[in-house]
Amino acid sequence: MTAPPVARDRSGRTQRLPFRFALGGMAASMRQGAMAQFAFRASTWTGIIGCVLQVVLVYLVWTAVYGARTEVAGVNQRDAITYAVLGVLVNIVFQPFTFDTLYGRLRTGAIAFDVMRPVSAVPLALAQQVGAAAAQLPAAAAGLVAGLTFGAIDPPGSVISGFAFAVSIVLGFGIALIMNFTVGLIGFWTLEVGGVFLIYRMLAQFSSGALIPLWFMPGWLSGTLTALPFSAQVFVPLSIYVDTDPGWHTARAIGLQLLWIGVLIALGVLIWRRAIRRLVVFGG
Amino acid sequence: MIRAEGLVKEFSRPERVQGRFSGVRSFFSTKKVVTRAVDDVSLTIDDGELVGYLGPNGAGKSTTIKMLTGILVPTAGHVEVEGIVPWQDRRANARNIGAVFGQRSQLWIDLPLRDSFDLIAKLYGLHPVDYRRSLDAFVDLLNMGPLLDTAVRSLSLGQRMRGDIVAAMLYRPPVLYLDEPTVGLDVVAKARIRDFIAEQNRSEGTTVLLTTHDISDIEQLARRVVIIDEGRILYDGDLQRLKARYARVPRDRRHRNGSACRTPHRRSRPAQRSTSR
Repeated sequence: MTAPPVARDRSGRTQRLPFRFALGGMAASMRQGAMAQFAFRASTWTGIIGCVLQVVLVYLVWTAVYGARTEVAGVNQRDAITYAVLGVLVNIVFQPFTFDTLYGRLRTGAIAFDVMRPVSAVPLALAQQVGAAAAQLPAAAAGLVAGLTFGAIDPPGSVISGFAFAVSIVLGFGIALIMNFTVGLIGFWTLEVGGVFLIYRMLAQFSSGALIPLWFMPGWLSGTLTALPFSAQVFVPLSIYVDTDPGWHTARAIGLQLLWIGVLIALGVLIWRRAIRRLVVFGG
Repeated sequence: MIRAEGLVKEFSRPERVQGRFSGVRSFFSTKKVVTRAVDDVSLTIDDGELVGYLGPNGAGKSTTIKMLTGILVPTAGHVEVEGIVPWQDRRANARNIGAVFGQRSQLWIDLPLRDSFDLIAKLYGLHPVDYRRSLDAFVDLLNMGPLLDTAVRSLSLGQRMRGDIVAAMLYRPPVLYLDEPTVGLDVVAKARIRDFIAEQNRSEGTTVLLTTHDISDIEQLARRVVIIDEGRILYDGDLQRLKARYARVPRDRRHRNGSACRTPHRRSRPAQRSTSR
């Protein structure tokens, strides 16, 4: 066999790979995350049907809750329904609170290969999550069509609200991504995280406002939840969407999201560094 | 070149309490059991060498390899692979090493085999032309053309193992770790993999560290063997000399328990000690 002319460095240190290889790896990893979601045709279809059903049910329930009233707790009916339906779609796309990428690989020991790669496992795991989220877009699109058909989704409160929402939802996704990743790292210490994740998932879903808008919660609770990063994932972008009078408070909310991203990245990096030192691969 | 000096790896886990309410008491217990999986292992493997690393289950083979690959951080001692301390500089190390762990797979289970290779080529920044050429050569050598578009989960064990070997070699690393690459395979599959390893070692000068429980893997591939048991190296040297040394031991005793390397002067030593933390 003739050896292909691949550069090999036998002496001294190997060069660190340029950044673009990391990007190429991330793109491939993202694609892989998406493709894995489509590997099972049945689950793709259940995802789509599930999303449409959820949109319809949420629409029916919130319509019934309001009944003949146009306003509850200072929130008008149209806003509440728009919020709830969009909440379902956002929830689906954020795939909130799945930890598969790292946790699953930790359980099977495949994590061993991740730490042997020339590209850090962190951007790869995150890219894979982004890919997996992108794979939910068809389901979300079906839900969106259903929502629009029922007239359950109103346009944004104002043009500025629409743009602000676009920025805010991306930041919210970033926050969800980093938080899920960081919580997933608990597995490096406990080795068993099913229970922790179940509780986290429930709390996060509730606290983010994806199930019930924070408007309807008692003052002390909504105050507490606003101070937590969960609300920055779903509640902040969606309340910007329905806001008819955006202003400084909108800019402040987006600024706060950016702040959270900074803080959470720092925290995530810190925990990752410790986790990798602790890494234990099972069996073998 | 692989150089290890005085490698030690200890694992600690919570001690299980025996007796009444043992589950609850274990939960609150702060006692830890420390196991020394690798104990003072020193080893030098030159460029282009193919070394068999032998030992019974739980002897510390995989733990050693995990330290050499940089997956595990040693409790004590020094490792250097191609001049790099693997766990300190994982990313630089990554390009120099390939690894196959027979018990696991680095392939993406739900995707066609080809997608895994594409992803690895991207991660290691292979030039598309080089990638194409390497892949064609490997696919040809391992006779896996028809498998490329099959999802990894649908492959047989032997097919998957060949896929894993290609994945580890795609970027042509100078050092290759093979941890039980023939486990569970039939004779034909084993022979194919052995030929491939021998060929890579000969033509590319790839340094290979191979663990296996199949003594014929070693006989056909390795000149030098290192034997480890209970975390300590018992023998390091020529395979022929080792065979000559134990030629008088009856065959059936040598191969008892499927372990090929029980040696007479095995040290008895407490493998575990208890500490309170």
